[in-house]
Amino acid sequence: MDFTLSDDQQVLLTAFDGLLDNYRTPPHGIHGYVAWDAAFQNELDASGFAEIAAQEGYGSLEAAMLVEAAASCPVGVEAAASMLVGPLIGHTSGVLALAWQIGRPVRYLAQAQRLCIFDHDAVLVATPAPGDWEEMSGVSAYPMARLLRVPADACRLPDDLAEAVRRRAIIGLAAEAAGLVRGAHEHTVRYVKERQQFGQPLGHFQAIQHRLAEDAQIVQAARLMAFRAAHADCSRQAAIAALYVQDAMRKLIHDCHQFSGAMGLTLEFPLHLWTYRLKVLQGEAGGRAAQAHSVASATWPKQKSKPQLATVLERTI
Amino acid sequence: MEFGWTEEQDALRARLKAFLAANLPDDWETTASLSPGSQAVTDFSKVFCPKLAEEGLLASHWPREHGGNGATAWDHFVIGEVLWEAGEPRGPQYYNVNWIGPTILAYGSEEQKALHLSRMLKGDVIWCQGFSEPSGGSDLGGIRTKAEKTEEDGNRYLVNGQKIWTSYARLAEFCFLVAKTGPARRDVSVFLLPMDRPGITVRPIASVVGDGDLHEVFFDDVEVFEHERLGAEGKGWEVIRYSLDYERVGIPRYALALRTLNRAVAELQDEDCFVPEAELAAATALTACEAARMLVYETVDKRMRGRPDTGSASMARYAVVCAERAVADFVLDWTPHLFTSNDAPMVATHHKRAIAAGLAAGAAEIQLNLVARDVLGLGV
Ligand SMILES: Cc1cc2nc3c(=O)[nH]c(=O)nc-3n(C[C@H](O)[C@H](O)[C@H](O)COP(=O)(O)OP(=O)(O)OC[C@H]3O[C@@H](n4cnc5c(N)ncnc54)[C@H](O)[C@@H]3O)c2cc1C
Repeated sequence: MDFTLSDDQQVLLTAFDGLLDNYRTPPHGIHGYVAWDAAFQNELDASGFAEIAAQEGYGSLEAAMLVEAAASCPVGVEAAASMLVGPLIGHTSGVLALAWQIGRPVRYLAQAQRLCIFDHDAVLVATPAPGDWEEMSGVSAYPMARLLRVPADACRLPDDLAEAVRRRAIIGLAAEAAGLVRGAHEHTVRYVKERQQFGQPLGHFQAIQHRLAEDAQIVQAARLMAFRAAHADCSRQAAIAALYVQDAMRKLIHDCHQFSGAMGLTLEFPLHLWTYRLKVLQGEAGGRAAQAHSVASATWPKQKSKPQLATVLERTI
Repeated sequence: MEFGWTEEQDALRARLKAFLAANLPDDWETTASLSPGSQAVTDFSKVFCPKLAEEGLLASHWPREHGGNGATAWDHFVIGEVLWEAGEPRGPQYYNVNWIGPTILAYGSEEQKALHLSRMLKGDVIWCQGFSEPSGGSDLGGIRTKAEKTEEDGNRYLVNGQKIWTSYARLAEFCFLVAKTGPARRDVSVFLLPMDRPGITVRPIASVVGDGDLHEVFFDDVEVFEHERLGAEGKGWEVIRYSLDYERVGIPRYALALRTLNRAVAELQDEDCFVPEAELAAATALTACEAARMLVYETVDKRMRGRPDTGSASMARYAVVCAERAVADFVLDWTPHLFTSNDAPMVATHHKRAIAAGLAAGAAEIQLNLVARDVLGLGV
């Protein structure tokens, strides 16, 4: 147990922070909902960071740390799938998209070089081609496209690899959401220190302080739980981390929008870049019900039940 | 950063569980469902703690020169988790090893360390905490109990006033007492006061948390001496803060909460009622416990490195309060009969302990105030 970054982790994150610095301020003059930046994506690719999990001395924990850090930036980039799932399926550059259901919107699908499709226990890997998808518009800050059909070259992964891919996808979801809640929360804390009403900063009001303090606890717990799941590379821990953040983000999103007032609903104010990504992740991968089922199956495997009323129920009047 | 236990820590956990199997009586869980401050649990703690000390497991994290094994705070936490989950057979003596001992180690004179740490290591001394008063609960600066130096003898103070909500006071040998030693709100000092001094009256207060947990303590011209003061006169505030940072994350409360959750789920599975809605509620309660565990571990880690805590103990404590409530609510929603009956004594025990988590060691709202100020820099 060690909650402090090792020297190597510190060096890695400092270097990654340098890359993120160009994308930490929200893009000026955006009037759309989406803030994905191809330059950011290319820079991530070219930098070699995207392959961190496969590098000597590093692993899925470090990949999760970078995913979390990238997600805290208002400018979007696909990092979770390519950094955590990519190494398992030989995907070494470009965007990897994850489709949880055919016919439904998929994040980064139009930008993707490769695609994983989850269908019950099966996982397919494919190269999406034009015609396999159609672009969509919506209010989410992710670029979205609808998967219309299974791409022609799709092939099914062997079961053990499929399980690992699913696990890493859930770890990526937890780590990305952890970074997003941090981004939204930090932005809101800054805002309530600046915005004055009733002659004082909003942050002087205890009603606001308490909710933001509760949210601070959510941010920190989500982050540590995602990192723990990544370190253990364990399906149960992954589901615990994802369930926690999918549940807790609902309150945090609400609070951040409340304390940002009407300004928080404008496109020029970057809050939506975090919260509307979170709203997509809230139901991703089956949402809380699916994560809860994974947690429950792994924690409390089915016990044999005793039919207490069986003898009476057989009797009829 | 890494999140694994060492082989030695796993072995420690296994060894302690075997020790419990050999040393807890068959009716222990019924006994444990009384409060830690009850006569029965207190008596048992005086049998159990010396055995635990013999195994080197009572205060293993204390420095060797003070009778510990120089083990890490992690080892102490592993021990704490196993024992709290088992219903806390150390009874009120968990206070000694969790926060009173560490505070005496930090602020005590050599004489105080020699006297008190050795008694704690023997495993048969009970302490109580004299902080709260009718006029000073959340606002500890509002206390009125005074320790005044007497004219004729500069070494002696006389204590007058009243404490309330004092856990374990009736059976305690010593009180970790906070009293005013000057006119300003912050003019407070801490005293290590023997409870058999003339002028002390203890009255139990009946409560839903169990017998022996809450008392009123009255002080009427009680003598206390300079050598019994912990830290400098008027510097009690620093000592209190230090002790509270330890106390707030001293008890691994999520451990008993998780055990309770497991028990309730087993009941539902047994009755074939673990439906998807229950699964969602149970798994969500579990994540609250794991969130609390992570934040508590982070505080332990910071403490080990001697870094200032800046609100992390308060954040962890608040997460613990949320976890306790999530599990208690799961039981009430899904297995109410375990709450209303004594079918599973540890479930009722959990409820008694959980209900106090948001008040004892400082109200949950006070923790949020501290997080807002110290972590977020709001309102400063
Ligand atoms: C089981 C149990 C054991 C205890 N054992 C001990 C013990 O051994 N020794 C000891 O000294 N004390 C003990 N206490 C007392 C405990 O520390 C106090 O109950 C606690 O500090 C709150 O004080 P109070 O009860 O006077 O509540 P009050 O101070 O009257 O506050 C009531 C409520 O008001 C709210 N509140 C108060 N101030 C603020 C604020 N500034 N901002 C927002 N909300 C606020 C909180 O919700 C709080 O719970 C124990 C309490 C319990 C329940």
